[in-house]
Amino acid sequence: MTPSKPLELLAPLSGVLLPLDKVPDPVFSSRVIGDGLCIDPTSQTLCAPLAGVISNIQDSGHAVSVTDDNGVQVLLHIGLDTVNLAGQGFTRLVQEGQRVEAGQALIEFDADYVALHARSLLTLMLVVSGEPFSVLTSGLVEAGQPLLQLSPSETVDAVDEEEGDALFSKPLTLPNPNGLHARPAAVFAQAAKGFRASIYLHKQTQSANAKSLVAIMALQTVRGDTLQVSAAGQDAEVAIQALVALLAQGCGEAVASVAEPVATVLSATLLKGVCASPGSAFGHVVQVIEPALAIPEHGAGAATERAALARGLLAATEALQALQDDAAGSAQAEIFRAHQELLEDPTLLEQAHSLLASGKSAAFAWNSATVATAKQFQGSGNALLAERAADLADVGQRVLKLILGIRDSAWELPERAILIAEQLTPSQTASLDTRKVLGFVTVGGGATSHVAILARALGLPAICGVSPQVLALANGKQVLLDADKGELHLEPNLAEIEHLEAARKQQVLRHQRDVAQASLPAITRDGHRVEVTANVASLQEVEHALTLGGEGVGLLRSEFLYLDRSRAPSPEEQAGTYASIARALGTERNLVVRTLDVGGDKPLAYVPMDAETNPFLGLRGIRLCLERPQLLREQFRAILASAGLARLHIMLPMVSLLSELHLARKLLEEEALALGLTELPKLGIMIEVPSAALMADVFAPHVDFFSIGTNDLTQYTLAMDRDHPRLASQADSFHPAVLRLIATTVKAAHAHGKWVGVCGALASEALAVPVLIGMGVDELSVSVPLIPTIKATVRELDLADCQIIARQVLGLDEAALVRDALRQYQAATVETSPVVEL
Amino acid sequence: MFEKLQRAFWKALTPDLIAETVAAPPQGLLSAEVLSALGGADNLKSQQRVALTRVRVQLQDAGRLDEPALKAAGVEGVMVLAGGVVHLLSGL
Repeated sequence: MTPSKPLELLAPLSGVLLPLDKVPDPVFSSRVIGDGLCIDPTSQTLCAPLAGVISNIQDSGHAVSVTDDNGVQVLLHIGLDTVNLAGQGFTRLVQEGQRVEAGQALIEFDADYVALHARSLLTLMLVVSGEPFSVLTSGLVEAGQPLLQLSPSETVDAVDEEEGDALFSKPLTLPNPNGLHARPAAVFAQAAKGFRASIYLHKQTQSANAKSLVAIMALQTVRGDTLQVSAAGQDAEVAIQALVALLAQGCGEAVASVAEPVATVLSATLLKGVCASPGSAFGHVVQVIEPALAIPEHGAGAATERAALARGLLAATEALQALQDDAAGSAQAEIFRAHQELLEDPTLLEQAHSLLASGKSAAFAWNSATVATAKQFQGSGNALLAERAADLADVGQRVLKLILGIRDSAWELPERAILIAEQLTPSQTASLDTRKVLGFVTVGGGATSHVAILARALGLPAICGVSPQVLALANGKQVLLDADKGELHLEPNLAEIEHLEAARKQQVLRHQRDVAQASLPAITRDGHRVEVTANVASLQEVEHALTLGGEGVGLLRSEFLYLDRSRAPSPEEQAGTYASIARALGTERNLVVRTLDVGGDKPLAYVPMDAETNPFLGLRGIRLCLERPQLLREQFRAILASAGLARLHIMLPMVSLLSELHLARKLLEEEALALGLTELPKLGIMIEVPSAALMADVFAPHVDFFSIGTNDLTQYTLAMDRDHPRLASQADSFHPAVLRLIATTVKAAHAHGKWVGVCGALASEALAVPVLIGMGVDELSVSVPLIPTIKATVRELDLADCQIIARQVLGLDEAALVRDALRQYQAATVETSPVVEL
Repeated sequence: MFEKLQRAFWKALTPDLIAETVAAPPQGLLSAEVLSALGGADNLKSQQRVALTRVRVQLQDAGRLDEPALKAAGVEGVMVLAGGVVHLLSGL
């Protein structure tokens, strides 16, 4: 390096000088970022202290760094904690990469605004590149006056690039409220410098040298960003562990943990979670751990790498096809079909190919593209897309392993395995030897996650949302999983185990018997008939329901017919779909079609709508349909085309006002008239908003039927989000408040000679059947696999008893007490109806 | 609105990081010399300690401000802003 002339740094602002030691912020005063000094400004334009290039300017405009041609780098940071202002009060006058003269204006700021809104205006000028300097003045300074004289540095520490393939951490979500701004970035870089390995921090397709504060800041991270740490060299693994832990802890900043575990530890011997699939099992702990993959960043030529990616994608497609063919159930096959589609996603491939073109390896390019896109899904604020992020990660991993030639060793599972994981991916669950697996326990996921769906398809018990402590359990430890209660017993006693084993055997026998008797009607012992119908979303499900004894369709979720579509289906196509379902049912069975039930929380690609602050209280269900009457009219026409093929019913979701019903009926009548129909299909409403339940007597004369959506009714009545990690267990449809609304609705309907169904999840719970029947519910529309169970449950009951138990539970204080009372009642009825051994 | 909420939370979580902007008792914030250099107590609409190192005053008539007198009274730095707002830099 040529010895450079002494460089003078000009004062970036006018103001009062302050030594760095006195700055009341340990990150600056400790010189972690670099040495320099502090000015309490009396001017409002920050000027360049030296000529150079803007190597970084934060989006929030409160910090900028300038690097000169000799590598001297100076960071200017206006105020303390000004990152919290998120750009308010700052105007950037230059851009990153721009060459500036010494003294050129860089940032203007509103000193009064900053003084009133931030902690301090104390502005720092730090020589990040580390050259020693002497201070030329003290006290008051004028902007542009020489302030520091730099001694030419002897050596600039070049980054030693460690050789070898980089290890990558798992992606993690940045918890810092303002991203990695100067302070946490400095802490992170400082920690990274403690390792010999060359370390990079990755954000989507960008990466930064983790030992460079400015490079980290240039990533412009924000809270929720998905980051990965990679390291190459001897201590790479230790470095990754330490740095990932540091990031997770906020790099010295107070952070709220990103995802709070749902469950609390009740005791050292019991872990609680949420039931994702019922049942119980006694077995051994098997921890599922994904090994970290070594991903080389640089490729062996674009053509070679392109070919490697193409091979990986093809192999993955074939593997997914095989999985579909062998899938245990249709739900599982569907998931893998969706995975195949992800492999063909053009934006994903485009991203990967552009990285390949820049010389990256196939593995690196594919990994970056999938991680970046998964991140976008998560950040979309769209629940459906967010769920897809887990799928994308799964597909990403599958292809990555194929590219890297890593064979998924067939799991050598011990017998009676209870699998424990942070999160199980569909691929992992599919490759399981289910004969050896007895159950699943996961930290992440909820009752609607893939693992829950698959566990139910496999008939295995599963609980989700368990404390991360569970990941520390030793392999081989004997545990008792009681999914019905959402419990994992760590030190089960023999009596508990025997009791649950007996119950499990009983359950299997019962289920066999129920399926065998599925075609029998659901008539209570004292002769009261209840109609048991199916909740469906496809023709396939309708057919399945009929083989399991379904007496009709109580809820056709029409929005699900076209969930994956980016364009509205044509009227003919819609009509065709409804007609085929109606034909499958025939003229003697009910078909209840619910009109499009979409909204901010359940978006449909071809019904674009603005983001809402509170989608559950926004344009949802009938509200959205009435906003876009053409959509509703078109759907009515399509449904009406099936008139006469089945006992056709149309149901409106989310009705809360009588006017909505009147408006929708008017549209329906107009469409029927236009089609020349003399007889209208039955028109009913969902009862899922408390206002509709409370006013059921007002609605009843104007409808043909009610169907109660217990999921929404519960969350609106209790004001608890049923997906809320902390509240989900309390958002219980067995709450007496919810049951009372159901009772009110039934009473009002019957007074006007109308029937009431329940199509929410409550109807699919055997425990709830006595109280629902006791309150007078006429129809239970349940999820397809549970039809035999619910019908059998009805056959074991006495209406008179049910009426008594219903009256009793309506007077109880809370959901738990209702469940207790019903369990006692259930135990009593089960005893009197011993299982017939088949 | 969101921003406000977030700030409120941020503040609740880290009370030590964000300065309370509640006005300190107006008495004793400024010496008699400083007050007179600002044009007298009756020229002050408000006075407030802000940003760790400053006293922010709002003047009825900015023309009555006497900067040299302020310096003489021991104020290290003076920042005259729009609307009669003046920051008096008092150091840490």
